[in-house]
Amino acid sequence: MKSPLKAVVALAAAGALVLSAGCTARSDTPADDVSTEANTGTETAEFTVAFVPKLQGIPYFEAMNTGGQAAEADIPGLTWLYQGPTEADPAKQADIVRSLIQQKVDVLIVAPNDPDSLAPVLEEAKAAGIKVATADTDAPNSVRDVFVNQATAEGLGTTIAETLATAMGGSGTAAIVSCGETAENLNSWIAVEEATFASQYPDIKLLPTVYAGEDQAKATEMATDLMNANPDLTGLIGQCTTSAPGVAQAVKDAGKIGTVFTTGLGTPQAMLPYLEDGSSSGSVLWDVEGLGYLAAWAGAQLYYGNSFEATQTVGDLQGVTWDAATKTLLLGPPTVFTKDNAAQYDY
Amino acid sequence: MSATTLTARRRERVLPPAVTGQELILIGVIALLWVLLALANPGFLAPYSIQNMLWRLAPVGIMAIGMTIIIVTAGIDISIAAILMVCSVTIAKLIAENGWNFWLAVGVSLVIGAALGAINGVLISYGRVPAIIITFGTANLFQFLGLRIFNSKTVNGLPAERGILGPGEGGRFLGLPIAFIIMVVLVAFAWYYLRHFPGGRHFYAIGDDERAAALAGVNVRRRIFLAYLVTGLLVGLAAAITIAGGTSTLDQNVGKGQELVTIAATVIGGTSIMGGRGSVLGAVLGALLVQTVSSGVTQLGWPSQLSNLFVGLFIVVAVGADLIRERRRKAKL
Repeated sequence: MKSPLKAVVALAAAGALVLSAGCTARSDTPADDVSTEANTGTETAEFTVAFVPKLQGIPYFEAMNTGGQAAEADIPGLTWLYQGPTEADPAKQADIVRSLIQQKVDVLIVAPNDPDSLAPVLEEAKAAGIKVATADTDAPNSVRDVFVNQATAEGLGTTIAETLATAMGGSGTAAIVSCGETAENLNSWIAVEEATFASQYPDIKLLPTVYAGEDQAKATEMATDLMNANPDLTGLIGQCTTSAPGVAQAVKDAGKIGTVFTTGLGTPQAMLPYLEDGSSSGSVLWDVEGLGYLAAWAGAQLYYGNSFEATQTVGDLQGVTWDAATKTLLLGPPTVFTKDNAAQYDY
Repeated sequence: MSATTLTARRRERVLPPAVTGQELILIGVIALLWVLLALANPGFLAPYSIQNMLWRLAPVGIMAIGMTIIIVTAGIDISIAAILMVCSVTIAKLIAENGWNFWLAVGVSLVIGAALGAINGVLISYGRVPAIIITFGTANLFQFLGLRIFNSKTVNGLPAERGILGPGEGGRFLGLPIAFIIMVVLVAFAWYYLRHFPGGRHFYAIGDDERAAALAGVNVRRRIFLAYLVTGLLVGLAAAITIAGGTSTLDQNVGKGQELVTIAATVIGGTSIMGGRGSVLGAVLGALLVQTVSSGVTQLGWPSQLSNLFVGLFIVVAVGADLIRERRRKAKL
């Protein structure tokens, strides 16, 4: 996806798509003219796709940014803007979104900290003529045109539950250390995990979920408290990229490697030492850079007013599916990082 | 009024009791909570459970020493979380990316902490602007500085050598976490200094009545400057413990909310937010109470949000009790 030739081919393919499909469904949108022009090669439209992460500076969103920058290099005319709050605060995030509306970006993609409180702000963006999308976390009750989904709750929740259940030998007591209490994506994965344990691993007892915020130290504390309070606890799930290393560290500090097993959503670089010493049995995630790339690509499609195929290949990403009913673009099945493959990823 | 009651009162006003009423109440409440938690869950009193709680107490307790001195002078410092972040990322970068020795990096952290504290101190003592505004401003500036050092990336691959101050087995002496022992020594020293040295008493004099203190020959500016400088230095030490107990990666959330935890501990410990009264012993007890509550909530399997409720109630009750005491004292005069 980094070669210019591929980009040209991809653009030509996108152009063909516009010419064939664009005239019927979307012929009333002025964007069509722009895209046709761009694809005949006479002129490339310059447009800005802004992505607002939940917070800046954590490895997860930085990896998404890297993917977005790769798309910027591949897609002519695309300017990728990455700007988020320095803490996962809904109000600060809304301020940034408002300032981007003022700057009149063309496409706005947000990973909302609080989907409900952000919905009216997204409405303001749409009223200002900006195409609106969500990525990473959805705001289902908003005006967004597309949700760029990293994985289905079904796929992730089951993979996490299965990874932990296998490590635990199919029985015992487990607990989930989650992060933001209102984070829609985390909560939907937790629901699937609970259902998977209940239906497939009835011998695994799940304790009530605790919430550490996006705070590693707090996740470590809570995991330690859970182990101390429940001597029979043998499984821990770190539900987000800050709590996954947090719970593994707690197991390591307590000297319980091999007795208490952990898994969770962790970035490969952060999880590598824990995968190597056995305090983490496997980290479940998706291709984060690919998600950033897909988000930027989707932004470009929105700008040109293109529609999506049921299944498509985007750059190097194969099997990207589109669900028209929920207006969701899906990256694909999750990846499980182990001590054997984690070192290959540089995020 | 007879002469005897007058001398008795004068003595009381010069030096408060070694352990105040509020501290006794705190000890009682903590003891009660520990008994209840142990009854509800025997795991609460397991050695590792207690060791881990004492270890967690250390960074907050150490920062609370400085916060107590500051609040006693009727000031406040809400920039300590940002100082903690700058110091932590400095240590992490030096050891993980530049291969420095841990203790050398801690030395740098202490210097940076003291320097940032000194900036607060100069602005507050010589700029004569309310501490809450100045430190709110510097908190943002320091946070900017910290984020620049992070450079939008986490610090990965922190080595295992940092274990001496950490919560694991390598960080214990006679079964007690070394970080906790350091805290106890510092608290004992600060408690004695604040109580029995003229320099220590000057902080109280300033908090009670700055003008009167100045007229009595106290170098008010230098004392206030010192309070913030020492706090920065202590935060630099707390950063070392934070790194020692952290994971192999460090992200920008480090230290987040620690200023509120520290202020809560100090206020719950009986230090008057109006200045002039308070002790580091109370602050450590306050920190232990906050720690006990948040651990207890998790250990009992209660919803995590309840710890916010309890800590909030403790703060309100502590400040309320302080205001009532203050009113009574005024009424007596």
